Amino acid sequence: MGQVTPEEKAEIQALFERKNGLAELAKIVSADNNDLYEKLVKDMGETGAKFQQWWDSKAQQYGWESHPKGNWEINFQNGEITLVVKEA
Amino acid sequence: MINIKENSDSWQSGSSKSITFIVTKDCQLACKYCYLVGKNTKERMSWEVAKEAIDYILDRENEFREESVIWDFIGGEPFLEIDLIDKICDYLKTEMFRRNHHWFNSYRFSFSTNGINYHTSKVQRFIEKNRSHLSIGITIDGTKQKHDLNRIWKTADMEQGNMPKPEEEKGSYEDVVKNIPLWLEQFPNAATKVTIASADIPYIKDSVLHLYALGIKEVNINCVFEDVWKEGDDVLFEEQLTELADAIIDQDLYLDHACSFYQENIGKPLDPERDNENWCGAGQMLAIDAAGNFYPCTRFAAYSLRSKPAWIIGNVKDGIDQNKLRPFLMLDRITQSKQECIDCEVSSGCAWCQGENYDAADSHTIYQRATAICKMHKARVRANNYYWNKLFRKLELMDQQDVYDNLKSKVTEPVC
Amino acid sequence: MLTHLIILLDDTCVSYCHYNVPHVDHRLISLDDLKAGIVWAMKENVNIQFVYPDYKLPDEYNQAIASIDHTKIKPVKQGQDADVVVLTDWKVSAVDDLHHTTCIVHASRNDLSSHLTTLKEILSQVARLNIVLTDVADFTDADIDDYKLLLSKLSDIVEEQLKLGKNVQMNLLTDRLMLDEMNNCNAGVSNVTLAPDGRFYLCPAFYYDKSKGHIGGLRQGLNIKNPQLLQLDHAPICRKCDAWQCRRCVWLNEQLTLDCNTPSHQQCVMAHLERNASRNLLVRLEEEGFRYGSTHRIEEMKELDPFNTYKQWK
Repeated sequence: MGQVTPEEKAEIQALFERKNGLAELAKIVSADNNDLYEKLVKDMGETGAKFQQWWDSKAQQYGWESHPKGNWEINFQNGEITLVVKEA
Repeated sequence: MINIKENSDSWQSGSSKSITFIVTKDCQLACKYCYLVGKNTKERMSWEVAKEAIDYILDRENEFREESVIWDFIGGEPFLEIDLIDKICDYLKTEMFRRNHHWFNSYRFSFSTNGINYHTSKVQRFIEKNRSHLSIGITIDGTKQKHDLNRIWKTADMEQGNMPKPEEEKGSYEDVVKNIPLWLEQFPNAATKVTIASADIPYIKDSVLHLYALGIKEVNINCVFEDVWKEGDDVLFEEQLTELADAIIDQDLYLDHACSFYQENIGKPLDPERDNENWCGAGQMLAIDAAGNFYPCTRFAAYSLRSKPAWIIGNVKDGIDQNKLRPFLMLDRITQSKQECIDCEVSSGCAWCQGENYDAADSHTIYQRATAICKMHKARVRANNYYWNKLFRKLELMDQQDVYDNLKSKVTEPVC
Repeated sequence: MLTHLIILLDDTCVSYCHYNVPHVDHRLISLDDLKAGIVWAMKENVNIQFVYPDYKLPDEYNQAIASIDHTKIKPVKQGQDADVVVLTDWKVSAVDDLHHTTCIVHASRNDLSSHLTTLKEILSQVARLNIVLTDVADFTDADIDDYKLLLSKLSDIVEEQLKLGKNVQMNLLTDRLMLDEMNNCNAGVSNVTLAPDGRFYLCPAFYYDKSKGHIGGLRQGLNIKNPQLLQLDHAPICRKCDAWQCRRCVWLNEQLTLDCNTPSHQQCVMAHLERNASRNLLVRLEEEGFRYGSTHRIEEMKELDPFNTYKQWK
C-alpha cells in the first residue's frame, strides 16, 4: 500500500521498540518504586503519543487508505506499509 | 512473481553489540561434538558478578556505542540458571531505562538452549515477561537417529571420567522434540542450528527434511571447524547435499523453507583487497564468565580451549585491557590466510572461527587460519552449484528468472 | 634473511634491550654449546654478537670467541675492548671509559630525566647512543606530556652537539632522520639468540620470560612457528606506519597484546612521540642551515596511535 524512507522506518522502529520495552518494564516496576514508576508512566504516555503521531502524519503525507476495522503495519526489513483489516 | 524463502539476517546485523553471559558451565547433556572441553558443575555465575559486569558496561555508554545490543546467555545450558537470568534481565531493563541508555530502544535477550527445560514454568514465565525481546534457538540435530547419535544425556559416571558403552547411552531427542510445538507456537519464525561432525554426515538429508516436517522453516547448519574429518567424508557430504538439493527443489520446499547450506554467492574467488574482511565477530563481542573475566568471545574462555590458555581481555574489577583487543580489531582475511586460501577459486563462503584458529595454531596467535574445513567447503560448493543450477533451470522453465536474479545480489552473512 | 646470531654467554649477561635480567646465579653457556654455536653461525653465514656478563670469562671461552669475527656487547665495567657498552649505572667515572663506541643506556623515563647532564656527557664521547626504555609497559596517556618534554630536552642535547660539529647519533631522535623505510629489531627474522641452555630464542627477552618457548636447538636447528607473523607485511598496524625508528619489539607485543604481530597502544604512542620529536628536530636544524640524514620530509601527524586511524580505515 505504501513505502516509507529508511529514515522514517528507523524513527518508527525506535518508537516501536521503546513502546515494547516500556510495556515489558511495566510488568516489573511497582508503584512503590516512586521515581522509576513516575518516569515510566510519563514515558509510556509520551512514547504512545509520538507513535500515533508518526502514523497519523505519514498517513496524511502519503495519503494511505484506511479502514474502520483495519490498522497499518510496517515491514521493518524494507519499510513497506500494509493495511491489515480484521475480519468480524 | 513467486517468493523464495531466504536465510534471515541476524537481528540488527552489523550494528549490534553482542554481550554474552556464560551463566553456567554445566549442562544436562554430554554432546559428543561439543567444543566445550571444560564443562563442570561448579562454575556458576553469581548475581554479584553479573551485576558488576552490567554496571561496568552501562557506565561506559561512550565506549559501547553500537546502536543495538544483544544480551546473550550461554552455558553449558543457560536455562539451568533461569532464576539468575530472570534477575539479570530485570536489572538490565530497569537500568537501561533509569539511565536513559540508548540501548533501551534496541535490545534483545538471546538464548541457545538444548530445549530440555523449555516447557518448565520458570522458563515459560520468563518468556511471557520478555516476549517481544527474545530470540531463542533450540538445538535439535534432525532425526531421532542423528540427534541421539551425539546429543546424549550426561551421567554421573561421566563426571568421574567414565564414558558409557554405546548401548548404555541415552539420547535426548524425545526430551527436546516434545517442546518444539510450544516453541514454534511462541516463535513461528524460529530457526534451529545444526552442527555436523564426521559421524553425522550420512543423516544430513533426512535430518534437514525432518526438521522441516517438524515445522521449522529455517535450518542453519554448519560443519564443525575442528580437525575431525576423515578420508572420504567430503564425498559423502557432497552426496548428501546433492540429494537434499533434489528433495528441496523437487518438493518445492524452497518456497517457504531455508537451509543455510545453499547460498548463491558462495564458492567464488575473492579479491585480496576488496574482499579482505574478517569472517568472525570475535573482538566485536564481549563475553563474561562466572569469575568475572572478560573475553573477546566465549570461544576464548578456558572451558572452550583444548590446547591454549584462555585469552582474557580484562575483568569486572579492572575493566577491559584494550591492548588485548587490538589483534582482534585489526584482523583481516589476507593476513591470517595461507597463500593457498588467498588463491583459492572457491573461497567465498569458506568460514572460520577465530577461537578454533587460535586453539589449533602452532603458536600463540589468532593470525593462523585453521583449514581443516577446506575439503568440506569444496564439497559444499559443488553441491551448492548443483542446487542453484537446478533451481535456476526450474525457475527459468516456470518463467521466474527474475526471482533468481533477485537472489543473486545477496551477500553471505557471517555465522557468528 | 638471517644475518646475526646473538649469543648470551651467561644467565647474568647485561640487558641491552627492553627486558630486565632476573636475579639469577651465574650460569655460563657450556663450552661445547659455545663452540657449536660458533660453528652453526659460520655455516649459516651469519655474524655473531656476544653478550657478556659483568665478570671475566675463563680463558678457554675467550679463545673460542676469538676464533670468529664478532661484535662484543659488554657492561661498561668490562667494556675496554667492547664494540657496544651498556651503561649499568650513572657514575661519571664509568662514562670516561666509553672510547667512542656505541653506548646503550638501559633506563626508565624518570631515570633519564634525572640524568640529562650525564647523557649529554655520554653523547659527546660516543659514536652512537642507544636509549632503551625499561618501562614501556607502564606508559599511559597521562605520561605523554612528560615524554614529549624529555624528548625535547634530548633534542636540545643532540642539536647542541651537532652545532659543535660532532656528528652524533641518538636512536630515539636521529634514526628517523636517516631512514627511508622501517628499520626494526627484526628478532626472529634477521637475528636469533642462542641462550646458555643451548637453545635458540627469538631474542634474550624470550629466554628470560619463562612463559615463552624456545625456537629450536643447536642439534635440531631453528624451528620458528608462524615465522611470517614476525615480518612487517603480516603486522597490520605496522605495515603502513611511518615511525620507522620503532623497535617493533615482538616481545613487548606478546606481553601487552598477546599476539606477536600487534603492538600495544603505548608502543605506538611512544614511537610516534619520538617520530614527531625527530620531525621537530629536523625542522629546527633546517631553519639553522644544518642538513642531517636523508632528504625525506617527515609529515606533521597529530594521531599518535595508528590503530585509531586504521580501524576507521578498515
